[in-house]
Amino acid sequence: MIKSLDPRVTREQIDIDNQIAPLKDLDQWETYEVFHQKKRGDQHMHVGIVHAPNAEMALLFGKEQFGRRGVSVNIWVVRTADVFTSDYDDSDIFETVPEKQYREAAGYKVMEKINKYKKQNK
Amino acid sequence: MYGNAYIDPNEKPKSIIDGEDPIKLAEFEARIARGEKIEPKDWMPREYRKQLIRMIEQHAHSEIIGALPEGTWITRAPGFKRKLALMAKVQDEVGHAQLLYSAAETLGKSREAMINDLITGKSKYSNVFNYPAFTWADACIIAWLIDAGAIINQVANAKGSYGPYCRALDRICTEESFHLKYGHDNVVTLATGTPTQRKMVQEALNRWWPPIMHFFGPSDKISNHTEILMRWKVKMATNDDMRQQFLNMYVPKIWDLGLTVPDANLKKNEETGKWEYTEPDWDEFKRVINGDGPCNAERLAVRRMAEERGRWVREALHTPKSTYVVPLA
Amino acid sequence: MNHIKELLYKMADDLLILGHRNSEWTGLGPILEEDIAFSSMAQDKIGQSQTLFQLLHDLGEQEPDTVAFTRNANQFHNAIITELPNMDYAFSIMRHFLYDTADQLRFDMLANSSYEPLAKVARKVKGELKYHVFHANTWVKKLGNATEESHARMQTALNEIWDDALGLFEESTFEEQLIKEGVFVGEVELKNRWLAIISPILSDSMLTIPHESTWKPNIGGRVGKHTEHLQPLLDEMSEVFKIDPTAEW
Ligand SMILES: [Fe+2]
Ligand SMILES: [Fe+2]
Repeated sequence: MIKSLDPRVTREQIDIDNQIAPLKDLDQWETYEVFHQKKRGDQHMHVGIVHAPNAEMALLFGKEQFGRRGVSVNIWVVRTADVFTSDYDDSDIFETVPEKQYREAAGYKVMEKINKYKKQNK
Repeated sequence: MYGNAYIDPNEKPKSIIDGEDPIKLAEFEARIARGEKIEPKDWMPREYRKQLIRMIEQHAHSEIIGALPEGTWITRAPGFKRKLALMAKVQDEVGHAQLLYSAAETLGKSREAMINDLITGKSKYSNVFNYPAFTWADACIIAWLIDAGAIINQVANAKGSYGPYCRALDRICTEESFHLKYGHDNVVTLATGTPTQRKMVQEALNRWWPPIMHFFGPSDKISNHTEILMRWKVKMATNDDMRQQFLNMYVPKIWDLGLTVPDANLKKNEETGKWEYTEPDWDEFKRVINGDGPCNAERLAVRRMAEERGRWVREALHTPKSTYVVPLA
Repeated sequence: MNHIKELLYKMADDLLILGHRNSEWTGLGPILEEDIAFSSMAQDKIGQSQTLFQLLHDLGEQEPDTVAFTRNANQFHNAIITELPNMDYAFSIMRHFLYDTADQLRFDMLANSSYEPLAKVARKVKGELKYHVFHANTWVKKLGNATEESHARMQTALNEIWDDALGLFEESTFEEQLIKEGVFVGEVELKNRWLAIISPILSDSMLTIPHESTWKPNIGGRVGKHTEHLQPLLDEMSEVFKIDPTAEW
């Protein structure tokens, strides 16, 4: 039996050669992605994951692992398996040709016309 | 060495990038050189993945095992303020383990597999946690100086190339600043307190100095391997650089308190700006990291006990139809 | 003021002793995420007890640290249930469920206390307690309804701890005065409300409360009569503090 400096350990009466069958995969459940909102009005942001057996417990765990210092007002949890993501290999789908000024505010320059018109009609 | 890349000296350096697609490798290296992060589903060299898993996993183990020496005093912390703070501090370390296991999982190794490797002794953790915390003052020295060492390492690694690890470290570093302040406050209180308290903290410092000097590991052999890992931003600073940084920041603070560092040769060489010290006993370091330290057997036995005792809980709540997928980020 | 002090002492001692017991799980819990959650709640309890000791200090008692770390077992007013060793996680969760439900109700009732300092504290800790009970309910339901083993462990824990839980509602000699002055509605009322809340949750969890004819509330804690478990807990808790109780630590 271990006689530890830690009274908690001594109380457990642990054999120093204690054996344990190996942990099996999924011994510790699936994962949930955790999103939190810092304050009302903000967007929710991804902060990390928790292992949990269901969404309710993921919420319980996410709240303490990511929100215990009072930095959140709301959290969401989503099963990792339910998140459909784009691929980094396809990052080029976000690249677009630059000739799309028609949908940018900067693409509209009316002052030139106005000034020209004013000059002509003075 | 919370999260310091441990490089196996017996590994053949030439095998590192053998067989990797040269075009993809070039793109990967260019991305890192531009200061961009690598994300979980990106292409990455086998060696990059392997070293990161090893490093993050060891770091995670160090957090969960690191909860034990300080946990030794969790039921005995003197007074409300210390009791609450130590609970919160040890809790944070457990939280760090959670964050780091999660980061390592994104590289494809499950938490269970990592914990199996820990409790069977297959995988390492920081050597310092194989030393005992004899008194309350030991817990205070750990919270100050071991956490200080960890911060130097973690701040460096937070600028590394792997996104999930960096994000975990950013969060961890924020919490570490509380640990450091908490630890310093404790040591200052003891050092400026009663003669008994002062004696306690000096003795604890004497006990912990050798493990602290071991903390960053032996001088790196600059090999091809190290060079590549530094280029890939897996290893961010040499062991000696980090040790120097630590000495530079903390020895003056220790001396400020009139405490004695138990190394007569310790001094700063004003010309080189480098600290000189008695070379740590690296044979002892090797002995301890290979299992023969004062607490190795206990630490692993306690971890096995905790896993064993929690097993029925995990099994009870496990839903057979749920399928594990690697976490996203 | 003695009636108020007595109320504060028993609440503060309950929170301190159970918070201490629950903190023993820190770093050794069944899963990392739960380890963190359980530690937070232990911290909440110890923090709440400190706040209540501060109220006592305001009423002329000694400093919170002195009161908490230097008394002997026979001077403690906690209910027996809080001092029992942790046993397995089922026991800890069951105790957490039974105690925290009562604690939430007690504070809830105190939010309208005529003793304003206590009412203020009650309003301040409302959020913490809500989380504790949410946590407890979720766990009890899950473990009660999961495997044969988890169900058996939970039922055993409930059977073992039931009379100790009833000891939470041990009446004080000041009961009448507390009620009359509107400080607190009293232990009997608290116990009835508690039973009404825990019963459906336990039955949803497939767990059976021992038959009423067998109930033997394990009382005495409120008047300093404790089990053999409390003094060693206190000796351990104050080991460092007592090296020099006058020093700053
Ligand atoms: Fe940490
Ligand atoms: Fe830390």
